[in-house]
Amino acid sequence: MSEMTKKNPVLKILLGNSRLIVLLIMVVVFTLLTGGKFFSYKNLVNILYAVSLYGIMITGASFAVLLGGIDRTVSGNAALSGAIVAMTILNRGVGGGNVALAIFLGLGAGALSGLIHGLILSRFNIPAFLLTLATNEVLYGIVQYVTGNQLIYIRDCALMDYIGQVRWLGIPIPVYIMIVCVIISYIVLNHTVYGRQVYSVGGNRISSELSGVPARRDILIAYIVSGITGALAGFVLSSMNQQASSTQAKNYENDVLAAIVVGGVSMRGGAGTIQGAILGAFLIGVIGNGMTLIGIDAIYHNMIKGLIIIFAISIDMASVPGTPLNNFFRRFKQKKTA
Amino acid sequence: MSEKREVLFEMKNIEKIFSHVHALDHVNFDVRKGEVHALLGENGAGKSTLIKILTGVYKKDGGQIFMDGKEIEINSREDAANAGIAVIFQELSLIPTLSVYQNILLGKEISKFGFISDRAEKKQIQDLIDNYGFPVKATDIVETLSVAQKQMVEILKALATDAKLIIMDEPTASLSSRESELLFKIINQLREKEVSIIYISHRLEEVFNLSDRITILRDGKNAGVIEKEDIVPSEVVKMMIGKEVSESTASRELKTSNAENVLEVKNLTHLGYFNDVSFEVKKGEVLVLTGLVGSGRTEVVRSIYGADPYDSGEILFEGKPIKPTVRRSVANGFGLIPEDRRTQGFSPLLSVTKNVALTNYDKLAKSGFVKKADEDEIGKKAVSLTDLRPANPNVRVGDLSGGNQQKAVLGKWLTRDLKVILIDEPTVGIDIGAKDEIYNIIEGLAQQGVAVLMVSSDIAEVLHVAHRILVMREGRIIKEFNDGVATQEDILLASSGFVENQEVA
Repeated sequence: MSEMTKKNPVLKILLGNSRLIVLLIMVVVFTLLTGGKFFSYKNLVNILYAVSLYGIMITGASFAVLLGGIDRTVSGNAALSGAIVAMTILNRGVGGGNVALAIFLGLGAGALSGLIHGLILSRFNIPAFLLTLATNEVLYGIVQYVTGNQLIYIRDCALMDYIGQVRWLGIPIPVYIMIVCVIISYIVLNHTVYGRQVYSVGGNRISSELSGVPARRDILIAYIVSGITGALAGFVLSSMNQQASSTQAKNYENDVLAAIVVGGVSMRGGAGTIQGAILGAFLIGVIGNGMTLIGIDAIYHNMIKGLIIIFAISIDMASVPGTPLNNFFRRFKQKKTA
Repeated sequence: MSEKREVLFEMKNIEKIFSHVHALDHVNFDVRKGEVHALLGENGAGKSTLIKILTGVYKKDGGQIFMDGKEIEINSREDAANAGIAVIFQELSLIPTLSVYQNILLGKEISKFGFISDRAEKKQIQDLIDNYGFPVKATDIVETLSVAQKQMVEILKALATDAKLIIMDEPTASLSSRESELLFKIINQLREKEVSIIYISHRLEEVFNLSDRITILRDGKNAGVIEKEDIVPSEVVKMMIGKEVSESTASRELKTSNAENVLEVKNLTHLGYFNDVSFEVKKGEVLVLTGLVGSGRTEVVRSIYGADPYDSGEILFEGKPIKPTVRRSVANGFGLIPEDRRTQGFSPLLSVTKNVALTNYDKLAKSGFVKKADEDEIGKKAVSLTDLRPANPNVRVGDLSGGNQQKAVLGKWLTRDLKVILIDEPTVGIDIGAKDEIYNIIEGLAQQGVAVLMVSSDIAEVLHVAHRILVMREGRIIKEFNDGVATQEDILLASSGFVENQEVA
């Protein structure tokens, strides 16, 4: 086996990443079951298009999870950003139809939301899950207020039309935006001091602080980044749909967090990669798409998706020595061999 | 209490061997009815091994155990409980959100047809409390109680199972002096009710005041049994240490005793933790703060480093007053080896390199981007400076042995230009070989001119590495030992509060 991996780098990557294997198996299975329809150019682009939104959110939200926190406000930030962009472009209240200002205000709202969460979560020992669960509701409340709970159509905005409709080399613009976000996150996590500190603080905040790491600042930055990527995803979503609404991106945070965990980022912080998290998003995206193509009734989709997420997380937890799940499987193995 | 009562519990010729080492070598130990019997000995003397045998955690390799004159076997915790032996755990095992009576009756609920009879439970426990006169109520919720009261609930839990022999292991370690007084009162009440107590404590003063008898262990053997009326503190300490040792070691002389002060602390006070602490550490000097756990040593060090605040006083670094924060301290050339390396020392999932590099990114990065080659270099440097094993800087620190984990923590600072290093209990839970290597590292730092301020409870270690020794007790420095005059005895007595001439540094 080792000789083979030495000769073949592709095989080496595959064997080192069980998720990639699962993804490939699913692609093959869905392709066979759909008579090749799944693997058609059009469908693959569909998957990319659908995953791109989650992917953009994941690139920011992963920082919070790596630091041992969680950010459920990615969807609320997206909705708020979409609404603010739409209101500004349509010159309702502010702006005067300036697109640049609209984007600035939209992303700025996400950054502000992240700043507030970061300030609270870096200073006080409040569970991030509960805080962001509650504030996400507040964010949607603000969006309802801003939009007057009306669907807002965005017309005649050249930039948003472009992002929503145009394809480069046959691939939609949002996919490129996601790729840029992933590359930036990858570089930050792997090549900067900040990235090193994220892993260190996530693994042990106290020891990092005693080594002179500004853990509070690092956590603050993570939530601001997560706020901005959430808002960016909201802007992209509004561009895709040519509209903003008070239910925009609702519940996206569940798939975003599921993808991050399925992708192998530890909920306790300190371990995981951005490429893993994105792979998690593709796994979830492929499952949804494949089920539709096979013709599984939509009422079963959530059930099956949930079970597959549980399966992925179980494999992940069972691989950590000392955990009850790991012990359980080891006992099972011993019985089998005995 | 001088009349001799009958023997309740007896251990005869107890042996325990761990991989060819006699942890207990024919140890005899007995407890009389209604007696407070203290078990004394230095760390590693065999106290905890003996306790673990009599509570069923370890199996004895030889000897006999008797309860009420009958020979018994203790092979499990249940055996011990059935024999009427109970331990008051240091880390309290109560459920904070439940009431006192619910905690005491946990797993032994009084029920009828599967329904718990609250009223009967409350009454039974309140009667028990009244019988002993403890200042708690059956219906109090545990999390609202003080530490001392929680300890009482633990004791009540033991009494509710009709324990005849209660083991208290360092019960006053987390109590204030007023709370300790309350505990002593309760111990006296238990004694009057014919309950026997095995009392283990490093605080000699309270041991001498409280116990009817003292059994002293040394190197896994009986070193003596003393009745209350025969207790002479200095004699007891001699028995604990052994004469040969007490004469041999003395603190080493500092060759550079006229070197400049790197760190000066003046009248430093953090209310409730330490009071009016003053000392200085010279270039190339190893100054050790010793004393009992909880005497304020760690807190002093953390305040100097900037990890904790202080209320008043002054800290001078190279003659200039500083207001420390951790980041400023690191920038000034300070380093900290924290008390508990596992929770405070390193990120377990990260490699040695990435842990060590964490303190070095001021040099290992250019405009925020890590210079990977330099980073790898610092990892290799840390491994070679500390002789870390396995000699692979890419191993996760969490996968290393305790000694090598500590070396990785040392590596964080050895790779920097250090001026002052603060080291808190560096060798706890580390095997002897790694200990010596860590001492060598500390000595090497001092020879390079680093000012070393170390906290240690291990007296042999203190004498081995220190140029100068300060003894702390209840937040104050109560004794200073200069060049070559301290013995183990002196330090033990001073730590426990037996200081004849109080020279305050």
